[in-house]
Amino acid sequence: MVLNSHLTTQEQIINPIERPQVTHDLSENIILTTVDDLYNWARLSSLWPLLFGTACCFIEFAALIGSRFDFDRFGLIPRSSPRQADLIITAGTITMKMAPQLVRLYEQMPEPKYVIAMGACTITGGMFSVDSPTAVRGVDKLIPVDVYLPGCPPRPEAIIDAIIKLRKKIANDSIQERANIKQVHRYYSTTHNLKPVEQILTGKYLQSETRFTPPKELVEAIGIPVPPALITAKTQKEEQKRG
Amino acid sequence: MAEEESLVKAGVVSQWLADNGFEHEFIEPDVQGVETIKVQPEFLLPIATALYAYGFNYLQFQCGADLGPGRDLVSVYHLIKVSDNADKPAEVRVKVFLPRENPRVPSVYWIWKAADWQERESYDMYGIIYEGHPNLKRILMPEDWVGWPLRKDYISPDFYELQDAY
Repeated sequence: MVLNSHLTTQEQIINPIERPQVTHDLSENIILTTVDDLYNWARLSSLWPLLFGTACCFIEFAALIGSRFDFDRFGLIPRSSPRQADLIITAGTITMKMAPQLVRLYEQMPEPKYVIAMGACTITGGMFSVDSPTAVRGVDKLIPVDVYLPGCPPRPEAIIDAIIKLRKKIANDSIQERANIKQVHRYYSTTHNLKPVEQILTGKYLQSETRFTPPKELVEAIGIPVPPALITAKTQKEEQKRG
Repeated sequence: MAEEESLVKAGVVSQWLADNGFEHEFIEPDVQGVETIKVQPEFLLPIATALYAYGFNYLQFQCGADLGPGRDLVSVYHLIKVSDNADKPAEVRVKVFLPRENPRVPSVYWIWKAADWQERESYDMYGIIYEGHPNLKRILMPEDWVGWPLRKDYISPDFYELQDAY
């Protein structure tokens, strides 16, 4: 070994025997911070999103949860209960039928809470904004949105970008200003004149009596005494009674 | 009209129905050559039962259609014969044309159970009333929705949530 022969005697690089020198400089042992910064750092490092997905955007969001993109490294742990969540990512189209549930989930989340509108559907209605009879045009008509994340659907990297932007926003929050930001004034709300109708999802869908006996007129029109489908229905009913 | 009908050769199923005295009308097959039969709503159930007995044991789909503002609504049934190792099973499409003002047609739920949710969807979107259906309620739209969204003359309500986002 001609090349490093001059190193061998004096400079031992590998495995030094003496203890590593801990610096005694003040600047490296004491952290000076504000309560705001510490509080915000703790909050933005454990941003727990609600597991909420209504359409194809959630497929990308689910890819983000997986090991390839791994959003646990941002401290994001998906929560299945709105009571434990800080963040809701509206992944997918919100329809008029889903809107009340979304607002209820948002209202059940504890303050401070954040919203990322993910995908074209929740920003403007996306491809449904032309002629859909029921797609809500922009989820910001229902709940206040902090970050708009465009794409149809956005890639997992884009969601990471949105979360980093949200972290920056959280880092700028101040406890002193919190009193000025009231949820009441953060989003538009309209009063619908709703007429309550009878609930159609009663939970007795398969047990209803109409499911086992066809109307008399239909039996006559079919022309045969017992239609084949009815025979299976009767056996199913008997099985249910036995079970 | 009679000449046109004579030019179009009636299909196998249509011929069988005619031989057995079921009143129907043979209309032009679709681009894939699937035999299409037009049936009056009052004869739908006897003909459907006959087709079931003839071997059409599987309702592949049921759907609705709107021919345009002021024109008829259509309830469509696509039937095939399912068997073991079936290769190109026989198909037939049954269409029922219904007046827009009072679209009522008997339910085929009691013959093919697959019609359950599909007839509910046709009811939800077009307002076609399937008489004798066990649970004819809206399936996609909210239960208190007014109007039939897929009709060509449907006008979307001016809700704040449905207005364009700028």
